[in-house]
Amino acid sequence: MVKKFLFATVVLTSYTAAQNAYERHCVPCHASLPTSLQGMFMNHLLVYGGEHNFKAALKHYLRYPSKDISVMSDLFIDNFGIKEKSTLSDKELNEAIDIYWDKYKVFGKLK
Amino acid sequence: MSVLKNKATNSLLKSEKKSLFRFLVLYTTMVIVLMVLLSAFYYQSQEKFMLAEERATLSKYAYIQTKRLKVLHHFFDERDTYPRDSRFRSAIYDNEFAKIFSLIKEENIQFDKEIYIADKMIHFIETLDNYYLGARYLVIEVEDDTQWRAEIWKHIFIYGSVAFLVFMLFGFYLAKLFLKPMRDSIVLLDRFIKDTTHELNAPLSAILANIEMMDTDIMAEKNKKRLARINIAAKTVSTLYQDLTFLTLEHERHNEDEPVDIKPLLEDRVEYFNAWIHSKRLECFMDTEDASIVIDKRKFTRIVDNLISNAIKYNQRGGSIGIKLRKGMLMIWDTGIGIEKEKIPFMFDRYMRFNESEGGFGIGLSIVKKIVDEYHMSIEVESEIKKGTRIILKW
Ligand code: HEC
Repeated sequence: MVKKFLFATVVLTSYTAAQNAYERHCVPCHASLPTSLQGMFMNHLLVYGGEHNFKAALKHYLRYPSKDISVMSDLFIDNFGIKEKSTLSDKELNEAIDIYWDKYKVFGKLK
Repeated sequence: MSVLKNKATNSLLKSEKKSLFRFLVLYTTMVIVLMVLLSAFYYQSQEKFMLAEERATLSKYAYIQTKRLKVLHHFFDERDTYPRDSRFRSAIYDNEFAKIFSLIKEENIQFDKEIYIADKMIHFIETLDNYYLGARYLVIEVEDDTQWRAEIWKHIFIYGSVAFLVFMLFGFYLAKLFLKPMRDSIVLLDRFIKDTTHELNAPLSAILANIEMMDTDIMAEKNKKRLARINIAAKTVSTLYQDLTFLTLEHERHNEDEPVDIKPLLEDRVEYFNAWIHSKRLECFMDTEDASIVIDKRKFTRIVDNLISNAIKYNQRGGSIGIKLRKGMLMIWDTGIGIEKEKIPFMFDRYMRFNESEGGFGIGLSIVKKIVDEYHMSIEVESEIKKGTRIILKW
């Protein structure tokens, strides 16, 4: 039991220490969802467009998630519910979103 | 009458030429400005027309491309090849005008326009409702086949030259119309002079002959002076008469060209004007060498008479006149009132007088000029106001 706990903390701390804000705060929770973070990125992008808009809208959504403004389908939300309000600090949230944007943005990816 | 009219109208006077020139320059400039404006207007409307036609095709392309972007958007995790089409090139920009991907050459897209031409390429900008791949603007670019442009230029050139021609013909017609009153008065004056001169000959000859015959020896000094004055006056009238007949009747006569010894002729003419020269207390400087010219003697006499009588007429009391003769050159100078530089080009125009206080018809110098031109001589005028004038004749 203790071992297990120890192991968990070690894994968790190494995890948190080694990875960036996005991987720490977003990926774990999304891992269990059927739509990939990239898929959600594209959904969000489709509605909000350019970088500035995208980031501002996402930040707002993460702070105040709501069924009415979600870009996910009703079916998806009925099954998985609305996400919880993010309690991350402004700095961490911004950092995570910036990384998220850089990871999936279309710029420079098309051939 | 018709002969006279022809003679009067076949050549334009300098002053006429000047006003005609001014009018034509103004008119032509106006016509050109008008034509340029019209052409620009025509060009623009044709361009608009062409673009409207082109727009239908381009928006069809944009529609197709949008559909392809939509597909790519949904499969972006698996595919990353931007959809291409051989009929056009395209580019996508996000709502911050940042370039997401571009196949087109133009870098500075004018997002405020829907369709425009730049660098010989037509650009069409479609605003997307859904930001596929984050794109707000889809730019479609096709080569502008310059055919229509060539067509427009051809039209502008053809219609333009026709219109220009019509305008210019109209302009010449206008110019003629507006010169006509001037023309008419000259013709009228010419006819009047012709009619009157005819009647002058006999009385004038009688006066001059009788003055010559008068016995001055038995005359009182007072009367001698009076006679001299009559003599001058009669000779002035005679010179004028000669000029007028020359002007109106000369074309009915043939030139009798012969080698003319100028020196004795000059002496004879100075002698003829002697009384006048004396009465104005002018000093006369003769500096003559032997020289000759092949010319109608009557015509050369007209030149000399007119130049000498001008030198006397426009001189001041106690001034001087001079005559210098060299081979191929005759100069007659005076210390008279002079003539303004700007007026020199017009002094040979008929009926042009610069000094209202002196009488005359203003035809003397126009005759001089006519003869000078006829015999391909050159005439030069150097003058300074209140100092005097030199007229140099070369042949
Ligand atoms: C506690 C779990 C959880 C965490 C942490 C989490 N998410 Fe989500 N996220 C969800 C769920 C559930 C949904 C789908 C329901 C919804 O849209 O509200 C979602 C939806 C989204 C969407 C779609 C937004 C929309 O308008 O519907 C995006 C984008 C997203 N998450 C990004 C992130 C990012 C970036 C982070 C890290 C800062 C993050 N999420 C953190 C659970 C989470």
